[in-house]
Formats: sequence, structure tokens, C-alpha cells
Amino acid sequence: MKIGRKRKGKTEIPTASTADIAFLLIIFFMATTKFDVKEGIKIVLPQATEKQEGQVQSLTLTEKEMTRLQIMANGQIVVNKEASRVIENNDLDTLIQQKVKINPDMIFKVITDREAKYNEMVRVVDRLKAAKIEKISLSTN
Amino acid sequence: MAFNLKKRNAAEIPQSSMGDIAFLLLLFFMVSTVFVQEKKFWVERDRWPVAESIERIPRNHTSTIYVMRDETILIDDVPTRIESAEDVFVSTTLIRKKTDDPDLIVCFRTDRDTKYGVMSDVMRQLQDANTLVVAFETQQRKN
Repeated sequence: MKIGRKRKGKTEIPTASTADIAFLLIIFFMATTKFDVKEGIKIVLPQATEKQEGQVQSLTLTEKEMTRLQIMANGQIVVNKEASRVIENNDLDTLIQQKVKINPDMIFKVITDREAKYNEMVRVVDRLKAAKIEKISLSTN
Repeated sequence: MAFNLKKRNAAEIPQSSMGDIAFLLLLFFMVSTVFVQEKKFWVERDRWPVAESIERIPRNHTSTIYVMRDETILIDDVPTRIESAEDVFVSTTLIRKKTDDPDLIVCFRTDRDTKYGVMSDVMRQLQDANTLVVAFETQQRKN
């Protein structure tokens, strides 16, 4: 008797949907990847000077050349020798514009109290940067 | 006379290499994705100051210093404090970094309620390390 053997078909893994799966994975990665972009206020610090006797240079600047913005511990601001007061962003913008009108090359010296909040210093520097001021000096007391 | 017309084959775009291309793209994304590891000390983005005139800072030359409200400074994943003139960990670390990358930009991720005194001390050490380009990372002000 002849035994009827079944003919075995060629086994294959179906790969037709591989591209679809891969593209779905790509879309997932593209959608979930979060780029850590760095944004902020960029400034260049002056070079450190070593105090050597006889080499210290002192420069006296008038109010027409330099505006002092002293940030107090409580967030109030002293402009030059005026009384300290709370200055909102709009008023600060107006003040900066007035000073620039007097002297377009005005230097702004931001003196921040050690106890004042960092946020206050950034706020003032931001307003100066918004007014396209290039000459900004940062110091503390 | 019968013209011998050529039988045209149906035009098809070969798609057999589509899977390989897709997997290559996938590999590229997987390799180039950098996962930012959560640090023990961290300043959440909503604790940064808010500003308007911000600019983009190229990532490839940056080093980030975290300054917490309790005046802890985190540089290179090492927490430190500046309590006296002898605490020069920040400047020594930055001197090394500046040697590796002369175009180094130091980015501050500082809690907005941090006292300015500690920032002043750090910036003094930055000057000592001759790392003069700094950026205060901020959130964009929403109008």
C-alpha cells in the first residue's frame, strides 16, 4: 500500500508588515522625544582683577554716564540716590528709556543685596536686555 | 500588417527595502536620543525666573550649575556649598572644564527665591576660573 504523504508547504515568516511596525515605532520615538532646549539671559562677566598695590585704577562716573539700580533685600529698588521704591516692569521700562534718552551709551550698574531674591536681579537684567542695553554691570554689596 | 506591439509591464515602486530603511531610521532615533537622568537635586522648570528677552544657548558648549533655595550648589552631580573663601570646588571644577572646552558657557538653573549672595559667590568663582560667559536659564514670559 502506498502511504500518501502530505506535501509540506515552505514555511515563511510574513514580513510584509515589518515596515509598518518600524514606522509606527519611529512615530512613537519622534512624538515622545523631548529636546532639552536651553534658553535664558546670556551675559559676559568681566575678568577677575587681582588687587595689586599701585595698579588699582579708579574711575569716577557721573549720573549722566552711569545709572545705579540698587536692589534691596525687600525687592525695592533705589535708582541713583533716590528713595527706595517698588518698581514694576512697565515703570522700569520707562525709567530705562528716560536714562537712554539722556545718554545712549548709559552704563547700568545693578547692585543686588546679598539677601535679595535672585528673581529680582533677573527681572531687572531682563528689562535692561529688552531695552537693548549692552553695558550692564552686576555687583553686590 | 500587424504591428508588433510591445507588452508593457505594470510600473511599480520597489518596496522591498522599505523595512530596512525604516529600521535604520529607528536605530538612528534610538541611538541619538539622550535621556536626561533625574538628579537627586533638581530645580523644577516652574521654579526658574520668568523673563522676556531670552535667547537660545547652544547645548554643546554648556555646563549646568544648579543652585537650590537652601544654597546648595550642584555641579557635575556633586553637591557643594560656599561658606568660606576656602570652598573653591566650583572654581577648580570649572578650570578643568574650561581646559577641556575653551568655549564653555555656564548655565544657571537657579530657584527664583534663592538669595543673590550665593549667586554672587558662584559668579566670583567663575571669574577666578576665567569662565566668563554665563546664562541664567529662565522660563519664557507668557503674554
